[in-house]
Amino acid sequence: MTRNNIDPITLQVIGGALDTVAKEMGHVLYRMSYSSIIRESQDLGAGLFDKNFNTLCESDSTPMHIGSIPAYLRGIEKTLHDPWREGDVVLHNHPYYGASHSPDIAVISPVFHEGELIGFAGNTAHHVDIGAATPGLIIDVPDVYAEGMLFKGIKLYEEGKLNKAMWQFIETNTRVPSLVMGDLEAQVASARLGVRRFKELLGEYGKETVEQATRQLMDYSETMLRKRIAEIPDGEYRAEGFLDDDGRTRNKPLPVKVTVRIKGDNAEVDLTGSSPQVPTAFNVPFEGSTKVACYFAFRALLLDTATTEEYVPQNEGSFRPISVIAPLGSIFNPIFPAAAEARFGQVQRIVDLIIKALAPVIPEKVVAGSSATLSFAAYSGVKPSGDYWVFLEVNEGAYGGRPHSDGPDSIDELMRNTRNNPVEDLAMHLPLICDRYELRDDVSSGAGKFRGGLGVVKVQRFLSKGSMTHECDRHDDAPWGFLGGHAGAGGKVETFNVAKPGAITSMPAKFSGLQADVGDCIAIYSPNGGGYGDPLERTPATVRDDVLDGFCTRDYARDAYGVVLTDKRVVDEVATAARRKEMRKTAA
Amino acid sequence: MAKIGVDVGGTFTDLILEVGSGASRKVFVHKVPSTPGDQSEGVVTGVVELCKIGGIKPSDLKLIVHGTTIATNTVLEYDGAEVGMLTTRGFRDILHMARHKRPQNFSMQFDVPWQSKPLVKRRNRIPITERILPPTGEIVTPLDEHEVREAATLLKAQGVEAVIVCFLFSFLNHAHEKRAKAIVKETLPGLYVEASHEVVDVIREYERFSTTAMNAFVGPRVGRYLKRLESTLRGQGIGAQIRVMQSNGGVTTLENAAEHAVTILMSGPAGGVIGGRWAGLMSGESNTITVDIGGTSADISVIPEGRLRVMNPRDTQVNGYPVLAPMLDIDTIGAGGGSIAYVDEGGAFRVGPRSAGAAPGPACYGRGGVEPTVTDAQVVLGRLDPEHFLGGGVKIDPALARKAIETQLCPKLGVSVTEAALGIIRVVNSNMALSIRANSVAKGVDPRRYALMPFGGAGPLHGAALAKTVSAKEVIVPPAPGIQAAIGLLATDMQYEFTGASLCVLTKADQTALDRVNKRLDELTTQASAALEADDVPAAAHRFVRIAECRYVGQGFELRAEMPAARLTLESRKTVLDNFHKEHRQVYGHAFEDQDVELITLRVVARVPEEPVVWPTLGTAANADPKGAWLYARRTIFDDGTTHETPRFARGKLLAGHIIDGPAIVVQTDSTTLIPPGWTGNIHQSGNLHIRERA
Repeated sequence: MTRNNIDPITLQVIGGALDTVAKEMGHVLYRMSYSSIIRESQDLGAGLFDKNFNTLCESDSTPMHIGSIPAYLRGIEKTLHDPWREGDVVLHNHPYYGASHSPDIAVISPVFHEGELIGFAGNTAHHVDIGAATPGLIIDVPDVYAEGMLFKGIKLYEEGKLNKAMWQFIETNTRVPSLVMGDLEAQVASARLGVRRFKELLGEYGKETVEQATRQLMDYSETMLRKRIAEIPDGEYRAEGFLDDDGRTRNKPLPVKVTVRIKGDNAEVDLTGSSPQVPTAFNVPFEGSTKVACYFAFRALLLDTATTEEYVPQNEGSFRPISVIAPLGSIFNPIFPAAAEARFGQVQRIVDLIIKALAPVIPEKVVAGSSATLSFAAYSGVKPSGDYWVFLEVNEGAYGGRPHSDGPDSIDELMRNTRNNPVEDLAMHLPLICDRYELRDDVSSGAGKFRGGLGVVKVQRFLSKGSMTHECDRHDDAPWGFLGGHAGAGGKVETFNVAKPGAITSMPAKFSGLQADVGDCIAIYSPNGGGYGDPLERTPATVRDDVLDGFCTRDYARDAYGVVLTDKRVVDEVATAARRKEMRKTAA
Repeated sequence: MAKIGVDVGGTFTDLILEVGSGASRKVFVHKVPSTPGDQSEGVVTGVVELCKIGGIKPSDLKLIVHGTTIATNTVLEYDGAEVGMLTTRGFRDILHMARHKRPQNFSMQFDVPWQSKPLVKRRNRIPITERILPPTGEIVTPLDEHEVREAATLLKAQGVEAVIVCFLFSFLNHAHEKRAKAIVKETLPGLYVEASHEVVDVIREYERFSTTAMNAFVGPRVGRYLKRLESTLRGQGIGAQIRVMQSNGGVTTLENAAEHAVTILMSGPAGGVIGGRWAGLMSGESNTITVDIGGTSADISVIPEGRLRVMNPRDTQVNGYPVLAPMLDIDTIGAGGGSIAYVDEGGAFRVGPRSAGAAPGPACYGRGGVEPTVTDAQVVLGRLDPEHFLGGGVKIDPALARKAIETQLCPKLGVSVTEAALGIIRVVNSNMALSIRANSVAKGVDPRRYALMPFGGAGPLHGAALAKTVSAKEVIVPPAPGIQAAIGLLATDMQYEFTGASLCVLTKADQTALDRVNKRLDELTTQASAALEADDVPAAAHRFVRIAECRYVGQGFELRAEMPAARLTLESRKTVLDNFHKEHRQVYGHAFEDQDVELITLRVVARVPEEPVVWPTLGTAANADPKGAWLYARRTIFDDGTTHETPRFARGKLLAGHIIDGPAIVVQTDSTTLIPPGWTGNIHQSGNLHIRERA
């Protein structure tokens, strides 16, 4: 501790205040907003930042947004047409100027104290439609201009005064102005709240104390993460997998290679060797997405909130020990003007492969292979009134088995953590009806001492003509098992018409602008997680429970776990012992 | 008329008895150890003992109001009924998937309670062929009654104690749920069977199913407990009416509590909030922020204009399971007397949420605790005197408190014992103040117009500091802060709530559409009247509040708007809309007045006012000088770091009109009040102690 440090007690008080502000900003944003992707799914982030763009605090909403805003701020710095003034509200979403991807529009306001720029309050939120080539989502498009409206440091409010022309322009260029404009208002309200709270804090404690406190809080988060990194043996750890395709050229898998270098209390993630950039939108903005995924992986693995007693504040400090390399021109660092909107599946795989690379040295902290993808579905159509309806739905995945527990089933994994849309609410308001929403039962999850989680199956049916774009991956590269656990299962997508449910068309994971007729159904199956540990170590009683609960079949219990159940579904101890002995012999 | 309020806490069961009527009313209080194995034992012991103290026969009791943790404990201990469920084919796992959001963002090893501890195991969730479609509730696939019979038989073979029927879109059409329930009852006579629309008739399947499952999960155990309590009391010759406190702050009958066990999940903390409102009103104060500080946690609630705030149904959950039952808006944080102070490996100074609990307890208890707690800090600062702590019931050793801080904190913080102790108090106060702000300022409530009311054993030590930090106008310490929740039980009304889905875009509705809403309101009002009549409440005493839960078209979260008492018409809907815009502005700081407003859920609240307990007024002091209550003076350190030879006064000897200039400490059996230097305490005739900073 240096002499200038403020006392730990004041530090704790200011730290608590910052967390409360971030929470409040996030709360106002999602409660006030209109589109289900923000209000139900909470696909948003909000926080305060210092004038050097360091994150001071951030709402605990969706991990993908956490840590992405500093890159937006750097992008705004490069593009803002005139200086920051009190009362300004700036829009920004350019993927080559720091945006996470173009639908995640940032709304940022500067914070002034006694005439001096101290920092920023801002948020990002996923917008349903920004006028891209296809409604809601895009896959197979030529370049970044097909993504829709791009904002580079645009002042929506100048010194508190709304730029009405800009407002009208946005309203004109989205397919669903009633949602987008309401969501923007919620974002502005949240940013202004942040400005007000930041100023109150500065007024109460003074600039010097607040700035010193934020420096120390960042140092604290950094120290906590460095301590955990230092416990990992120095070395180079590698893992690789592949993505199905780029959404245009089928049957051409794209490699993902991850090398993690641990040196002392630093970690470097090197993505060299991964696929070159692709000609569709299936690329990842480097600053706003690739780096954020790497930050997430280390924080979630090493400062796991379920096993770490201390609350480690969400700020810049936890990013500092991590450096990220992705060669320019690769899928993780594309060159302008490549489109880079559909990036979530790839960042999920970065996280999954960092886990896989480190698993042998930190087996107690990892999970076996999770779904590590995203089923992002955009359903749309034109109402009789001539207005568009667009609905974005996130279909969940599952986790791999864990050192002491099964992988959670049917849940948002890794970088995403959204809420689903109630089947009943949706159907009351859109010409779409859900016909099936439950755990997958067509294939098993990865067997293991702790089994992988089961993915979901969701069937949506069009009640009027419409179209659909699906951003997804991981039909082909099944989630990995660990320490003897079996691999999980890849996902799948099928279409059929409700009148002929037997006539099924198998679809790739990604498709753009599929035209749908009345009664057309889309069935989405997400990947099942891999198992952790030897399935023969799972107790027969637990395997019996799995069978009773339908998590696996009686046959699977015998084949994968060596557990034999009688017709009355009780464990046949003798047959089980024999079967397990035989399986161990075969394995040896 | 003799009535008793009895509140069961983790350590003690608190009781209050009021006897007599009019001017001859008297109040007696009592405390007995709780009996965690069977709460009713402690309750009955306490009731019998208190009757003796009050000089009445148990048979003289007319009313017993009970605050219980039985339902909550059933959830926390995961010790409820084996429940079976019939649900729409294709949607077997709604309860397993929840809202597909995991409880923690940055975690790999997190627990998912609804999967690891399901309210209904997957083997007991049976899909049934049937289909009702929106938006009209039309039946497109008739209920397969044969499947229902087979499922019932199967569930019986699997040993379930309760069956729930949860079909999609049942809020639009009850027919399938009703029919399936009838078949199950017929197949399995005597079993607890309930349909989701009967428990909570609202849109959104997961929350409705989860509430229904929770009701079935806790219901049988709660029912058995209440039955046992009733029969034990009756066995003691007690024929009094028995009422149970609900999470919404109203009381209900034993039968209703057993049938709708989800409504009593937050029975415990509700009593304290009601007690807080009651105590504020005794001094004519209706704007109150209550802070109930116990051993491990603090419950914070804001009461504007005497109105108890109800939580948004989207936020009501118990241990991770959503429960659509009205609950008072109470924020619980991990800060209490037992909260442990420590320096973590990153060098951060922390207080709580880890707690020393009742065992081993704070270091000064000498029961093996070595880590310093908030209570230890108070002892070191000379604010808790050994001879008065819990009425002298618990021995405390200041040397142990000092040693814990000296060895565990001082070397790491590089400060003196006193500085470290002051730091503990400052951090724990800051945590509580942040929560108060999040529940006041952040929700459009200006604390400068509010009195802060601290209670619970540890509350009044923190009152002044908290009031200063959040800028509350004064502190009111109620007469018996240690048993506030029990008092609250005798200070509330009977209350029943009925909810029903009724989707309608209000701004666009014609009179025909509004009449559909009126019809639904009438149905709910009829249900509410029936409940009151079943409870022997004369029709003349029936009072109804009608609430429209609305949102702007396209939003996903509703807010409550009060409806006019008369029938909803094209003219009167403006009142509803205005109330909604006002609420939206209050909650989010902004309203969209030109947007369409959609009604989602109707709620009818039936209330029967009960006469609240009357606390005996104090005698009037001859003059302001409280020397008659003076005990002794001792060295005490205050939050500003100054040390004063500080007088102690006995609360029981203070009279109306006494003025105590801080620094001073007021002691009573189970609570200690701190009046810092520069603050003054005024004794109000009601027994309340008002503390303000001197101008």
